[in-house]
Amino acid sequence: MITLGLPKGRNLGPARASLETAGLNLDGLVSARLRQRFPDQNVLGTPVEVLLLKDWDLPLYVEHGIVDCAIVGSDVLEETQPDIFRPLQLKDGRSRLSLIADTPELPKRSGQLRAATRYPTWAARLLAARNLHVEVIHLTSSIELGPLLDLTDVAVDIVQTGGTLRTHDLHEVEVLAEVAPTFVVNRASFHAHRRRLSGLLGSLEETETGDG
Amino acid sequence: MKISAGLPTGVSAALFDSARRRRLLEARLSALLEERGFAEVLLPILDYFEPYRPLLTGRRLEQLYRFVDRDGQLLVLRGDFTPMLARLLAPHLDELELPLRLYYRGDVVRHQPLRPGRMREYSQLGAELLGGDEAEADEQMLTLFFDLLLEAGREAPEPVDGEEHALRVVLGVAGALDEALLAGAGEQEAPELAQRIASRERTAARRAGLADVVERGYPTDLSVLGGTAEAVSGLLGLRDRLSAAYRDAGVEIEVDLAEFAAAALDPRISVGAGRRGYYDGLMFAAYAPGTALALGVGGRYDKVFRSLSGDCSAVGFSCGLDLLLELGNAAPQS
Repeated sequence: MITLGLPKGRNLGPARASLETAGLNLDGLVSARLRQRFPDQNVLGTPVEVLLLKDWDLPLYVEHGIVDCAIVGSDVLEETQPDIFRPLQLKDGRSRLSLIADTPELPKRSGQLRAATRYPTWAARLLAARNLHVEVIHLTSSIELGPLLDLTDVAVDIVQTGGTLRTHDLHEVEVLAEVAPTFVVNRASFHAHRRRLSGLLGSLEETETGDG
Repeated sequence: MKISAGLPTGVSAALFDSARRRRLLEARLSALLEERGFAEVLLPILDYFEPYRPLLTGRRLEQLYRFVDRDGQLLVLRGDFTPMLARLLAPHLDELELPLRLYYRGDVVRHQPLRPGRMREYSQLGAELLGGDEAEADEQMLTLFFDLLLEAGREAPEPVDGEEHALRVVLGVAGALDEALLAGAGEQEAPELAQRIASRERTAARRAGLADVVERGYPTDLSVLGGTAEAVSGLLGLRDRLSAAYRDAGVEIEVDLAEFAAAALDPRISVGAGRRGYYDGLMFAAYAPGTALALGVGGRYDKVFRSLSGDCSAVGFSCGLDLLLELGNAAPQS
Protein backbone atom coordinates (compact mmCIF):
# COMPACT_ATOMS: atom_id res chain seq x y z
CA MET A 1 0.00 0.00 0.00
CA ILE A 2 1.11 3.55 -0.76
CA THR A 3 0.38 6.31 1.73
CA LEU A 4 -0.37 9.61 0.05
CA GLY A 5 -0.46 12.94 1.87
CA LEU A 6 -2.74 15.66 0.53
CA PRO A 7 -3.07 19.25 1.74
CA LYS A 8 -6.17 20.30 3.60
CA GLY A 9 -7.95 23.41 2.47
CA ARG A 10 -7.83 25.24 -0.82
CA ASN A 11 -4.87 23.30 -2.21
CA LEU A 12 -6.76 20.02 -1.95
CA GLY A 13 -8.88 20.69 -5.05
CA PRO A 14 -6.05 21.15 -7.59
CA ALA A 15 -4.01 18.33 -6.03
CA ARG A 16 -6.90 15.89 -6.20
CA ALA A 17 -7.81 16.94 -9.74
CA SER A 18 -4.25 16.32 -10.97
CA LEU A 19 -4.10 12.89 -9.34
CA GLU A 20 -7.50 11.88 -10.70
CA THR A 21 -6.54 13.00 -14.20
CA ALA A 22 -3.43 10.86 -13.83
CA GLY A 23 -5.64 7.84 -13.15
CA LEU A 24 -5.89 7.69 -9.36
CA ASN A 25 -9.39 6.81 -8.22
CA LEU A 26 -10.23 8.99 -5.22
CA ASP A 27 -14.01 8.67 -5.50
CA GLY A 28 -15.62 9.44 -2.18
CA LEU A 29 -12.72 11.43 -0.73
CA VAL A 30 -14.17 13.42 2.16
CA SER A 31 -12.30 16.56 3.10
CA ALA A 32 -13.33 16.29 6.76
CA ARG A 33 -11.84 12.84 7.34
CA LEU A 34 -8.15 12.59 8.21
CA ARG A 35 -7.50 9.04 7.01
CA GLN A 36 -9.18 7.29 4.09
CA ARG A 37 -8.36 4.10 2.24
CA PHE A 38 -9.03 3.51 -1.44
CA PRO A 39 -8.96 0.10 -3.11
CA ASP A 40 -6.45 -1.17 -5.70
CA GLN A 41 -5.35 1.57 -8.02
CA ASN A 42 -4.53 0.61 -11.60
CA VAL A 43 -1.92 3.31 -11.88
CA LEU A 44 -0.13 2.11 -8.72
CA GLY A 45 -1.06 -1.56 -8.65
CA THR A 46 -1.84 -1.36 -4.95
CA PRO A 47 -4.35 0.32 -2.62
CA VAL A 48 -3.70 3.84 -1.48
CA GLU A 49 -4.26 5.43 1.90
CA VAL A 50 -4.84 9.16 1.82
CA LEU A 51 -3.96 11.36 4.79
CA LEU A 52 -5.29 14.91 4.76
CA LEU A 53 -2.79 17.11 6.57
CA LYS A 54 -1.88 20.75 6.87
CA ASP A 55 0.39 21.99 4.10
CA TRP A 56 3.11 23.03 6.56
CA ASP A 57 3.11 19.62 8.26
CA LEU A 58 3.24 17.51 5.10
CA PRO A 59 7.02 17.71 4.50
CA LEU A 60 7.64 16.45 8.03
CA TYR A 61 5.36 13.46 7.54
CA VAL A 62 7.09 12.65 4.24
CA GLU A 63 10.55 13.05 5.75
CA HIS A 64 9.61 10.70 8.59
CA GLY A 65 8.28 8.14 6.11
CA ILE A 66 4.80 8.18 7.69
CA VAL A 67 3.62 9.33 4.28
CA ASP A 68 5.32 7.84 1.20
CA CYS A 69 4.47 10.70 -1.12
CA ALA A 70 2.49 13.91 -1.04
CA ILE A 71 1.57 17.05 -2.89
CA VAL A 72 2.98 20.14 -1.16
CA GLY A 73 3.39 23.75 -2.21
CA SER A 74 6.95 24.56 -3.30
CA ASP A 75 6.76 27.60 -0.97
CA VAL A 76 6.55 25.28 2.04
CA LEU A 77 9.40 23.17 0.68
CA GLU A 78 11.62 26.21 0.14
CA GLU A 79 10.98 27.43 3.67
CA THR A 80 11.34 24.09 5.46
CA GLN A 81 14.04 22.54 3.20
CA PRO A 82 13.14 18.91 3.91
CA ASP A 83 15.44 16.13 2.72
CA ILE A 84 12.95 14.55 0.31
CA PHE A 85 12.64 14.01 -3.44
CA ARG A 86 10.70 16.55 -5.50
CA PRO A 87 10.22 14.82 -8.82
CA LEU A 88 7.40 16.82 -10.37
CA GLN A 89 5.75 20.21 -10.23
CA LEU A 90 2.09 20.37 -11.16
CA LYS A 91 0.63 22.86 -13.59
CA ASP A 92 -2.60 23.72 -11.81
CA GLY A 93 -2.63 25.80 -8.66
CA ARG A 94 0.55 27.76 -9.46
CA SER A 95 1.19 31.19 -7.98
CA ARG A 96 4.13 33.49 -7.31
CA LEU A 97 6.05 34.84 -4.34
CA SER A 98 6.26 38.59 -4.73
CA LEU A 99 7.68 41.67 -3.11
CA ILE A 100 4.70 43.84 -2.17
CA ALA A 101 4.64 47.51 -1.19
CA ASP A 102 2.17 50.35 -0.93
CA THR A 103 4.06 52.15 -3.70
CA PRO A 104 4.79 50.87 -7.25
CA GLU A 105 8.54 51.08 -6.56
CA LEU A 106 10.57 49.72 -3.69
CA PRO A 107 10.38 52.32 -0.86
CA LYS A 108 13.60 54.29 -0.34
CA ARG A 109 14.88 54.12 3.23
CA SER A 110 18.11 55.43 4.71
CA GLY A 111 18.29 52.44 7.00
CA GLN A 112 17.45 48.80 6.55
CA LEU A 113 14.10 47.88 5.00
CA ARG A 114 11.67 45.79 6.99
CA ALA A 115 9.74 43.00 5.32
CA ALA A 116 6.79 41.02 6.65
CA THR A 117 6.50 37.44 5.48
CA ARG A 118 5.39 33.97 6.45
CA TYR A 119 8.61 32.64 4.83
CA PRO A 120 11.44 34.19 6.90
CA THR A 121 14.20 31.87 5.68
CA TRP A 122 13.24 31.69 2.03
CA ALA A 123 12.45 35.41 1.77
CA ALA A 124 15.77 36.35 3.41
CA ARG A 125 17.58 34.08 0.93
CA LEU A 126 15.80 35.50 -2.11
CA LEU A 127 16.23 39.11 -1.00
CA ALA A 128 19.90 38.62 -0.14
CA ALA A 129 20.42 37.20 -3.64
CA ARG A 130 19.13 40.55 -4.96
CA ASN A 131 21.48 42.46 -2.66
CA LEU A 132 18.51 43.60 -0.58
CA HIS A 133 19.47 43.23 3.05
CA VAL A 134 16.23 43.54 4.96
CA GLU A 135 15.03 42.89 8.44
CA VAL A 136 12.55 40.06 8.11
CA ILE A 137 9.51 40.06 10.38
CA HIS A 138 7.77 36.69 10.64
CA LEU A 139 3.97 36.91 10.45
CA THR A 140 1.72 33.89 10.17
CA SER A 141 -1.31 35.45 8.46
CA SER A 142 -2.59 38.65 6.80
CA ILE A 143 0.89 39.51 5.62
CA GLU A 144 -0.43 42.49 3.64
CA LEU A 145 -1.16 44.21 6.94
CA GLY A 146 2.59 44.64 7.47
CA PRO A 147 3.05 47.53 5.01
CA LEU A 148 -0.57 48.69 5.37
CA LEU A 149 -0.23 49.30 9.10
CA ASP A 150 3.40 50.47 8.86
CA LEU A 151 4.73 47.51 10.79
CA THR A 152 7.05 46.95 7.82
CA ASP A 153 8.06 48.72 4.60
CA VAL A 154 7.25 45.79 2.34
CA ALA A 155 5.72 42.31 2.42
CA VAL A 156 6.89 39.13 0.75
CA ASP A 157 3.93 36.89 0.10
CA ILE A 158 2.11 34.63 -2.31
CA VAL A 159 0.16 36.37 -5.06
CA GLN A 160 -2.35 34.28 -6.97
CA THR A 161 -4.79 36.58 -8.76
CA GLY A 162 -3.71 39.91 -7.26
CA GLY A 163 -7.22 40.52 -5.89
CA THR A 164 -6.08 41.07 -2.30
CA LEU A 165 -3.46 43.57 -3.47
CA ARG A 166 -6.01 45.56 -5.47
CA THR A 167 -8.44 45.56 -2.54
CA HIS A 168 -5.80 47.08 -0.27
CA ASP A 169 -4.24 49.34 -2.91
CA LEU A 170 -0.93 47.50 -2.71
CA HIS A 171 1.55 46.94 -5.55
CA GLU A 172 3.43 43.89 -6.72
CA VAL A 173 6.90 45.43 -6.98
CA GLU A 174 8.74 42.32 -8.13
CA VAL A 175 8.11 38.61 -8.60
CA LEU A 176 10.73 36.78 -6.53
CA ALA A 177 9.89 33.15 -7.36
CA GLU A 178 7.35 30.83 -8.91
CA VAL A 179 5.33 28.65 -6.55
CA ALA A 180 3.87 25.32 -7.68
CA PRO A 181 2.19 22.33 -6.08
CA THR A 182 4.95 19.74 -6.01
CA PHE A 183 4.77 15.96 -5.91
CA VAL A 184 7.26 14.87 -3.25
CA VAL A 185 8.48 11.42 -2.22
CA ASN A 186 10.26 10.11 0.86
CA ARG A 187 13.80 9.01 -0.01
CA ALA A 188 13.40 5.48 1.33
CA SER A 189 9.88 5.09 -0.09
CA PHE A 190 11.18 6.09 -3.50
CA HIS A 191 13.41 3.03 -3.49
CA ALA A 192 10.92 0.76 -1.74
CA HIS A 193 8.07 1.59 -4.16
CA ARG A 194 10.08 2.72 -7.15
CA ARG A 195 8.16 0.87 -9.87
CA ARG A 196 4.77 1.83 -8.51
CA LEU A 197 5.61 5.47 -7.98
CA SER A 198 7.23 5.63 -11.40
CA GLY A 199 3.91 4.54 -12.89
CA LEU A 200 2.04 7.32 -11.10
CA LEU A 201 4.74 9.86 -11.89
CA GLY A 202 4.67 8.88 -15.57
CA SER A 203 0.89 9.38 -15.70
CA LEU A 204 1.11 12.66 -13.81
CA GLU A 205 3.81 13.87 -16.15
CA GLU A 206 1.71 13.00 -19.19
CA THR A 207 -1.17 15.07 -17.89
CA GLU A 208 0.99 17.97 -16.75
CA THR A 209 2.91 20.31 -18.94
CA GLY A 210 4.42 22.09 -15.96
CA ASP A 211 8.06 22.95 -16.28
CA GLY A 212 9.72 21.45 -13.23
CA MET B 1 17.44 22.12 43.75
CA LYS B 2 15.39 20.12 41.31
CA ILE B 3 17.57 18.21 38.87
CA SER B 4 16.25 17.91 35.32
CA ALA B 5 16.37 14.55 33.55
CA GLY B 6 16.68 16.34 30.20
CA LEU B 7 19.59 15.75 27.81
CA PRO B 8 21.12 18.07 25.21
CA THR B 9 19.42 18.25 21.82
CA GLY B 10 20.10 15.25 19.61
CA VAL B 11 21.28 12.80 22.27
CA SER B 12 19.43 10.08 24.09
CA ALA B 13 20.09 7.37 26.63
CA ALA B 14 19.35 3.69 26.06
CA LEU B 15 17.96 2.35 29.30
CA PHE B 16 16.78 -1.06 30.44
CA ASP B 17 15.33 -3.14 27.61
CA SER B 18 16.47 -0.83 24.79
CA ALA B 19 20.07 -1.10 26.08
CA ARG B 20 19.78 -4.87 26.27
CA ARG B 21 18.34 -5.14 22.78
CA ARG B 22 21.08 -3.01 21.31
CA ARG B 23 23.83 -4.99 22.98
CA LEU B 24 22.24 -8.24 21.79
CA LEU B 25 22.08 -6.97 18.23
CA GLU B 26 25.69 -5.80 18.45
CA ALA B 27 26.71 -9.23 19.70
CA ARG B 28 24.96 -11.02 16.83
CA LEU B 29 26.45 -8.75 14.21
CA SER B 30 29.92 -8.84 15.80
CA ALA B 31 29.80 -12.64 15.81
CA LEU B 32 29.04 -12.63 12.10
CA LEU B 33 31.93 -10.23 11.45
CA GLU B 34 34.35 -12.33 13.51
CA GLU B 35 33.20 -15.42 11.64
CA ARG B 36 34.14 -13.70 8.34
CA GLY B 37 37.62 -12.94 9.61
CA PHE B 38 37.15 -9.32 10.69
CA ALA B 39 39.00 -8.16 13.79
CA GLU B 40 37.54 -5.56 16.11
CA VAL B 41 39.29 -2.24 16.66
CA LEU B 42 38.55 0.06 19.58
CA LEU B 43 39.10 3.67 18.69
CA PRO B 44 39.35 6.67 21.02
CA ILE B 45 36.56 9.14 21.43
CA LEU B 46 38.97 12.11 21.47
CA ASP B 47 41.46 13.01 18.78
CA TYR B 48 43.45 15.97 17.51
CA PHE B 49 41.64 18.17 15.01
CA GLU B 50 44.65 18.72 12.77
CA PRO B 51 44.79 15.30 10.99
CA TYR B 52 41.23 15.76 9.75
CA ARG B 53 41.88 18.96 7.86
CA PRO B 54 43.03 17.16 4.68
CA LEU B 55 40.48 14.35 5.12
CA LEU B 56 37.29 16.23 5.81
CA THR B 57 36.12 19.44 4.28
CA GLY B 58 32.85 21.28 3.92
CA ARG B 59 29.90 20.32 6.06
CA ARG B 60 31.48 17.21 7.57
CA LEU B 61 34.36 19.26 8.97
CA GLU B 62 31.94 21.84 10.34
CA GLN B 63 29.96 19.07 12.01
CA LEU B 64 32.87 18.02 14.24
CA TYR B 65 32.56 18.96 17.89
CA ARG B 66 35.88 20.62 18.63
CA PHE B 67 37.31 22.32 21.67
CA VAL B 68 40.58 23.47 23.19
CA ASP B 69 41.67 21.33 26.13
CA ARG B 70 43.60 22.54 29.17
CA ASP B 71 46.91 21.91 27.38
CA GLY B 72 45.87 24.25 24.59
CA GLN B 73 45.37 21.44 22.06
CA LEU B 74 42.53 21.66 19.56
CA LEU B 75 40.67 18.37 19.93
CA VAL B 76 37.63 16.78 18.32
CA LEU B 77 35.09 14.26 19.49
CA ARG B 78 34.87 11.22 17.23
CA GLY B 79 32.61 12.14 14.31
CA ASP B 80 33.41 9.23 12.01
CA PHE B 81 35.31 5.98 12.41
CA THR B 82 36.64 5.55 8.87
CA PRO B 83 38.94 8.60 8.60
CA MET B 84 40.17 8.03 12.16
CA LEU B 85 41.11 4.47 11.31
CA ALA B 86 42.70 5.55 8.03
CA ARG B 87 44.82 8.23 9.68
CA LEU B 88 46.02 5.77 12.33
CA LEU B 89 46.90 3.07 9.79
CA ALA B 90 48.29 5.16 6.92
CA PRO B 91 51.78 5.67 8.44
CA HIS B 92 52.08 1.90 9.07
CA LEU B 93 50.91 0.54 5.72
CA ASP B 94 54.35 -0.95 4.95
CA GLU B 95 54.29 -3.01 8.14
CA LEU B 96 50.74 -4.29 7.76
CA GLU B 97 49.82 -7.56 6.19
CA LEU B 98 47.17 -6.82 3.59
CA PRO B 99 44.35 -7.46 3.00
CA LEU B 100 43.25 -6.27 6.41
CA ARG B 101 39.72 -6.85 7.68
CA LEU B 102 38.59 -4.64 10.56
CA TYR B 103 35.35 -3.73 12.23
CA TYR B 104 34.27 -1.25 14.87
CA ARG B 105 31.24 -0.29 16.90
CA GLY B 106 30.54 2.72 19.05
CA ASP B 107 29.10 6.20 19.11
CA VAL B 108 29.88 9.14 16.88
CA VAL B 109 28.81 12.74 17.45
CA ARG B 110 28.10 15.30 14.78
CA HIS B 111 26.60 18.74 15.11
CA GLN B 112 24.13 18.33 12.29
CA PRO B 113 20.76 19.88 11.57
CA LEU B 114 18.05 17.95 13.33
CA ARG B 115 16.10 15.84 10.89
CA PRO B 116 13.50 13.19 11.56
CA GLY B 117 15.24 10.23 13.15
CA ARG B 118 18.67 11.84 12.92
CA MET B 119 20.40 12.33 16.23
CA ARG B 120 23.61 14.21 17.02
CA GLU B 121 25.02 11.23 18.86
CA TYR B 122 24.36 7.81 17.41
CA SER B 123 25.76 4.30 17.44
CA GLN B 124 27.43 2.83 14.42
CA LEU B 125 28.74 -0.55 13.49
CA GLY B 126 30.98 -0.75 10.46
CA ALA B 127 33.62 -2.74 8.66
CA GLU B 128 36.60 -1.92 6.45
CA LEU B 129 38.60 -4.03 4.03
CA LEU B 130 42.01 -2.62 3.17
CA GLY B 131 44.11 -3.91 0.28
CA GLY B 132 43.45 -6.85 -2.01
CA ASP B 133 41.92 -6.99 -5.45
CA GLU B 134 39.49 -4.08 -5.76
CA ALA B 135 36.70 -5.85 -7.65
CA GLU B 136 36.83 -8.83 -5.32
CA ALA B 137 36.93 -6.58 -2.27
CA ASP B 138 33.89 -4.61 -3.48
CA GLU B 139 31.88 -7.78 -3.97
CA GLN B 140 33.01 -9.25 -0.64
CA MET B 141 32.07 -6.13 1.27
CA LEU B 142 28.69 -5.79 -0.42
CA THR B 143 27.98 -9.42 0.41
CA LEU B 144 28.95 -8.77 4.03
CA PHE B 145 26.79 -5.62 4.06
CA PHE B 146 23.74 -7.57 2.85
CA ASP B 147 24.36 -10.41 5.29
CA LEU B 148 24.63 -8.05 8.24
CA LEU B 149 21.43 -6.26 7.26
CA LEU B 150 19.61 -9.55 6.78
CA GLU B 151 20.89 -10.76 10.14
CA ALA B 152 19.68 -7.53 11.77
CA GLY B 153 16.29 -7.85 10.10
CA ARG B 154 15.82 -11.58 10.49
CA GLU B 155 12.94 -11.10 12.92
CA ALA B 156 11.27 -8.44 10.81
CA PRO B 157 7.70 -9.23 9.89
CA GLU B 158 7.12 -10.55 6.37
CA PRO B 159 6.29 -7.81 3.85
CA VAL B 160 2.52 -7.44 3.62
CA ASP B 161 2.66 -6.97 -0.10
CA GLY B 162 4.32 -9.85 -1.93
CA GLU B 163 5.94 -7.57 -4.49
CA GLU B 164 7.68 -5.36 -1.98
CA HIS B 165 11.18 -6.32 -0.96
CA ALA B 166 12.35 -6.20 2.60
CA LEU B 167 15.60 -4.51 1.67
CA ARG B 168 16.51 -2.21 -1.20
CA VAL B 169 20.15 -1.58 -1.85
CA VAL B 170 21.18 1.22 -4.19
CA LEU B 171 24.56 1.06 -5.91
CA GLY B 172 26.35 3.94 -7.58
CA VAL B 173 29.73 5.21 -8.64
CA ALA B 174 30.92 8.43 -7.03
CA GLY B 175 31.26 11.11 -9.66
CA ALA B 176 29.72 9.08 -12.48
CA LEU B 177 27.08 11.69 -13.15
CA ASP B 178 29.41 14.65 -12.71
CA GLU B 179 31.26 14.02 -15.90
CA ALA B 180 28.10 13.74 -17.98
CA LEU B 181 26.61 16.86 -16.40
CA LEU B 182 29.77 18.89 -16.80
CA ALA B 183 30.02 17.83 -20.44
CA GLY B 184 26.36 18.54 -21.12
CA ALA B 185 25.67 21.58 -19.00
CA GLY B 186 29.01 23.24 -18.29
CA GLU B 187 30.61 24.42 -15.06
CA GLN B 188 27.97 27.03 -14.25
CA GLU B 189 24.80 25.05 -14.65
CA ALA B 190 25.98 21.56 -13.69
CA PRO B 191 25.84 21.85 -9.88
CA GLU B 192 22.27 23.11 -9.85
CA LEU B 193 21.25 20.53 -12.41
CA ALA B 194 22.89 17.80 -10.33
CA GLN B 195 20.90 18.89 -7.28
CA ARG B 196 17.69 18.82 -9.27
CA ILE B 197 18.42 15.46 -10.85
CA ALA B 198 19.25 14.07 -7.43
CA SER B 199 15.84 15.31 -6.34
CA ARG B 200 14.40 13.18 -9.17
CA GLU B 201 13.18 16.16 -11.13
CA ARG B 202 12.23 14.60 -14.41
CA THR B 203 12.21 17.85 -16.35
CA ALA B 204 15.73 18.74 -15.20
CA ALA B 205 16.98 15.27 -16.06
CA ARG B 206 15.46 15.45 -19.52
CA ARG B 207 16.95 18.87 -20.14
CA ALA B 208 20.36 17.49 -19.30
CA GLY B 209 19.80 14.54 -21.64
CA LEU B 210 19.90 12.21 -18.63
CA ALA B 211 16.23 11.31 -18.24
CA ASP B 212 17.24 7.65 -18.01
CA VAL B 213 19.12 8.39 -14.79
CA VAL B 214 15.83 9.26 -13.12
CA GLU B 215 13.80 6.57 -14.88
CA ARG B 216 16.21 3.67 -14.59
CA GLY B 217 18.97 4.93 -12.37
CA TYR B 218 21.57 5.07 -15.16
CA PRO B 219 21.67 6.16 -18.81
CA THR B 220 20.87 3.69 -21.60
CA ASP B 221 23.91 4.97 -23.45
CA LEU B 222 26.73 4.65 -20.94
CA SER B 223 29.13 6.53 -23.23
CA VAL B 224 27.67 9.84 -21.98
CA LEU B 225 29.35 9.04 -18.67
CA GLY B 226 32.79 9.43 -20.26
CA GLY B 227 35.60 7.99 -18.19
CA THR B 228 33.26 6.47 -15.64
CA ALA B 229 31.30 4.42 -18.21
CA GLU B 230 33.48 1.37 -17.60
CA ALA B 231 32.99 1.58 -13.83
CA VAL B 232 29.21 1.82 -14.26
CA SER B 233 29.24 -1.08 -16.69
CA GLY B 234 31.15 -3.13 -14.10
CA LEU B 235 28.60 -2.10 -11.50
CA LEU B 236 25.72 -3.36 -13.63
CA GLY B 237 27.46 -6.74 -13.80
CA LEU B 238 27.96 -6.72 -10.04
CA ARG B 239 24.29 -5.87 -9.53
CA ASP B 240 23.23 -8.81 -11.73
CA ARG B 241 25.44 -11.29 -9.89
CA LEU B 242 24.37 -10.11 -6.44
CA SER B 243 20.71 -9.90 -7.45
CA ALA B 244 20.81 -13.54 -8.51
CA ALA B 245 22.54 -14.55 -5.28
CA TYR B 246 20.16 -12.63 -2.98
CA ARG B 247 16.87 -12.95 -4.85
CA ASP B 248 15.47 -15.49 -2.41
CA ALA B 249 16.63 -13.46 0.59
CA GLY B 250 14.35 -10.57 -0.37
CA VAL B 251 17.09 -8.12 -1.28
CA GLU B 252 16.48 -5.95 -4.31
CA ILE B 253 19.55 -4.28 -5.76
CA GLU B 254 19.49 -1.39 -8.17
CA VAL B 255 22.02 0.89 -9.75
CA ASP B 256 21.14 4.54 -9.27
CA LEU B 257 23.61 7.25 -10.14
CA ALA B 258 21.28 10.07 -9.09
CA GLU B 259 21.21 8.86 -5.49
CA PHE B 260 24.79 9.98 -5.06
CA ALA B 261 24.78 12.94 -7.41
CA ALA B 262 23.68 15.99 -5.45
CA ALA B 263 26.72 16.50 -3.30
CA ALA B 264 29.14 15.47 -5.99
CA LEU B 265 29.17 18.84 -7.69
CA ASP B 266 28.68 20.97 -4.63
CA PRO B 267 31.58 23.42 -4.72
CA ARG B 268 31.79 23.44 -0.92
CA ILE B 269 32.60 19.77 -0.89
CA SER B 270 35.84 18.15 -1.84
CA VAL B 271 36.35 15.08 0.25
CA GLY B 272 34.25 14.67 3.29
CA ALA B 273 30.67 15.83 3.19
CA GLY B 274 27.33 15.23 1.61
CA ARG B 275 26.06 12.01 0.17
CA ARG B 276 29.24 11.33 -1.73
CA GLY B 277 31.38 12.06 1.31
CA TYR B 278 34.93 10.80 0.96
CA TYR B 279 34.04 8.05 -1.46
CA ASP B 280 35.69 7.92 -4.86
CA GLY B 281 34.39 4.76 -6.51
CA LEU B 282 31.68 2.29 -5.66
CA MET B 283 29.01 3.72 -3.32
CA PHE B 284 26.01 2.00 -1.80
CA ALA B 285 23.13 2.65 0.57
CA ALA B 286 20.42 0.38 1.96
CA TYR B 287 16.78 1.27 2.58
CA ALA B 288 13.82 -0.61 3.94
CA PRO B 289 10.12 0.22 3.81
CA GLY B 290 9.11 2.24 6.84
CA THR B 291 12.56 3.59 7.64
CA ALA B 292 13.01 7.19 6.59
CA LEU B 293 16.81 7.13 6.54
CA ALA B 294 19.38 4.85 4.95
CA LEU B 295 20.11 1.88 7.22
CA GLY B 296 23.72 1.91 6.18
CA VAL B 297 26.02 3.48 3.63
CA GLY B 298 29.41 2.59 2.29
CA GLY B 299 31.83 2.69 -0.56
CA ARG B 300 35.38 2.81 -1.82
CA TYR B 301 37.58 5.52 -0.32
CA ASP B 302 41.08 5.01 -1.73
CA LYS B 303 41.54 8.76 -1.92
CA VAL B 304 41.47 9.07 1.87
CA PHE B 305 44.70 7.05 1.96
CA ARG B 306 46.13 8.98 -0.99
CA SER B 307 45.51 12.24 0.86
CA LEU B 308 47.45 10.74 3.79
CA SER B 309 50.34 9.92 1.43
CA GLY B 310 49.49 6.25 1.64
CA ASP B 311 48.68 3.95 -1.23
CA CYS B 312 46.05 1.44 -0.28
CA SER B 313 42.75 0.39 -1.75
CA ALA B 314 39.98 0.60 0.82
CA VAL B 315 36.28 -0.18 0.92
CA GLY B 316 33.95 -0.12 3.89
CA PHE B 317 30.55 0.69 5.27
CA SER B 318 28.78 1.70 8.44
CA CYS B 319 25.27 1.02 9.70
CA GLY B 320 23.19 2.91 12.22
CA LEU B 321 22.48 0.50 15.07
CA ASP B 322 19.28 2.25 16.11
CA LEU B 323 17.94 1.99 12.59
CA LEU B 324 18.88 -1.69 12.45
CA LEU B 325 17.01 -2.25 15.69
CA GLU B 326 13.98 -0.63 14.12
CA LEU B 327 14.37 -2.85 11.06
CA GLY B 328 14.49 -6.08 12.99
CA ASN B 329 12.05 -5.07 15.65
CA ALA B 330 14.83 -6.86 17.52
CA ALA B 331 13.09 -9.14 19.88
CA PRO B 332 15.52 -10.11 22.65
CA GLN B 333 17.26 -13.44 22.12
CA SER B 334 17.86 -15.69 25.04
